[in-house]
Amino acid sequence: MNTSPSNDTLIEGVILALSEEIAPHVENPKALATLQMIQSLLQGVRQTQPIMDGYLVDEHNDMITTLAGTAEALGAVDGPAADRIRERAATLGQLAPLPAPHDATELVAAHRELSTAIESTFRDLDELQRSDVASADEAIQVVRAHLSPRYLRQVQAFSVGDGFVGRG
Amino acid sequence: MIENVEDKLAAMIRRLQPDAEQVDIVDFMPIPGGFSRETFRFDAIVRTADGEIRHPLILRKDPPEAAAILHTSRADEHDLIESVRQNTSVPVTESLGYEMDRAVFGEAAMILRRAGGSPTTSDLFNGGCDEDQVDDVVRHLCETLVELHQSDITTIDPDGKLSDPRDAGIDTTDWDSYMESTFEYYINGYDDLNFDPSNCILLDAFLTLRRNKPQPLPLAVVHGDFNPANFLYEDGKVTALIDWENSRIGDPREDLGWMVMMDSLSNTNVMSHPADEGGFLAYYNKLTGHSITQEEIGYFILFGTSNIAVPVNSAIKRRVAGSSSELLHLYLIQSSAPALIGIAQLLQYPGVPA
Repeated sequence: MNTSPSNDTLIEGVILALSEEIAPHVENPKALATLQMIQSLLQGVRQTQPIMDGYLVDEHNDMITTLAGTAEALGAVDGPAADRIRERAATLGQLAPLPAPHDATELVAAHRELSTAIESTFRDLDELQRSDVASADEAIQVVRAHLSPRYLRQVQAFSVGDGFVGRG
Repeated sequence: MIENVEDKLAAMIRRLQPDAEQVDIVDFMPIPGGFSRETFRFDAIVRTADGEIRHPLILRKDPPEAAAILHTSRADEHDLIESVRQNTSVPVTESLGYEMDRAVFGEAAMILRRAGGSPTTSDLFNGGCDEDQVDDVVRHLCETLVELHQSDITTIDPDGKLSDPRDAGIDTTDWDSYMESTFEYYINGYDDLNFDPSNCILLDAFLTLRRNKPQPLPLAVVHGDFNPANFLYEDGKVTALIDWENSRIGDPREDLGWMVMMDSLSNTNVMSHPADEGGFLAYYNKLTGHSITQEEIGYFILFGTSNIAVPVNSAIKRRVAGSSSELLHLYLIQSSAPALIGIAQLLQYPGVPA
């Protein structure tokens, strides 16, 4: 495999060509907006690509801790929703952390499995909160504290300019 | 056979105005912007036995079926606009008619009169050229919203079309039924919109909304996209509230919450005016006698964000699954990402700056 030019250099070249060779000849406003969306998405890919695998590994490993920590914060509460949360802590919450770098396909699958477990945890915590289980309020904050930095850095990494090309 | 859009428009206007002897369409051009509908401006020169009149008009057209995010009816939008125009003093542009036969314009479409006034509402803020008008314009905007919210629902919507315009099972029998059926719509729809489990903050938002219902208020006709870009103004008055496609029966605080959020995203400052009344919310409360709190506004920002997140994320999921090929739906992943931070703030996620 060639290492030069890099994929990033190729994408950069495409963005430049769209700006300098295509955009000046596009008169239709909808087509121009679409062109800008293409450029924005390509730039987002350029910004995300170098950091994505590292972020996924970090998040994967933090989700393991989060699932275990959620059950711990919930404490000795009875009921099927609490049992499901403890079951996740005893299984997914005990997985070994992934090293970085890691096989990308396996990493995405593992990340997705744990994210789905977080999703299910929200449903179970909701069931407990609706039953006035006070420790569920604390437990949900464990999950939210895990998600906060994920969303912050995802937006920071993927956003380009002011966004909303084509919005009047 | 009618070939081009100008001829089709002329034929439609002749149908709407049977005494027209001749109709010429001139200056037809697209209006850039807007995700949900395609809009074009044109003038219709209509000659009758009484003379010739030039009408400034707009063609508002559905996007292609695959690209559509919000599936609403141009016929219902026409009926609503005309009902508001004829039964209230809320300023709206006249809707001349609609064509639901997709064979005519490619998709369903409607023709509206172009309203007078400036659409560049950013000129009212941040040192813009109309900043001296801002208090008067926003005062009128608030009075307009109050009138809409206090209008009799059965007068504005006699056929009940606004009760559940998305056909999502919404029950507007009373406030509790409305809220509960809307939560059900959000939560049951989650599987159809979560294109990646990392977006589980939306599920958290839907469940949190259901657990924390505020005090009830009487249901009202809500505009549904009440934001700083959806009105025109002139000489200190609002000349038209525009873009009624997401209008429905709902909680009036939905319009206030949406304005607060879009005010922030648009770098405008509607909510601080009229200054002598202590801002938009204080004036709204004074006019209505309600005591809507900032906390309730925060709740309805989340409620309104959820309301738009459902169709937007469903469109993204269809694209990710390969059942459509719209670039816009991929671009929405990127352009709507900052909303995740806004939702995290409203849910008071630890570590997210206010």
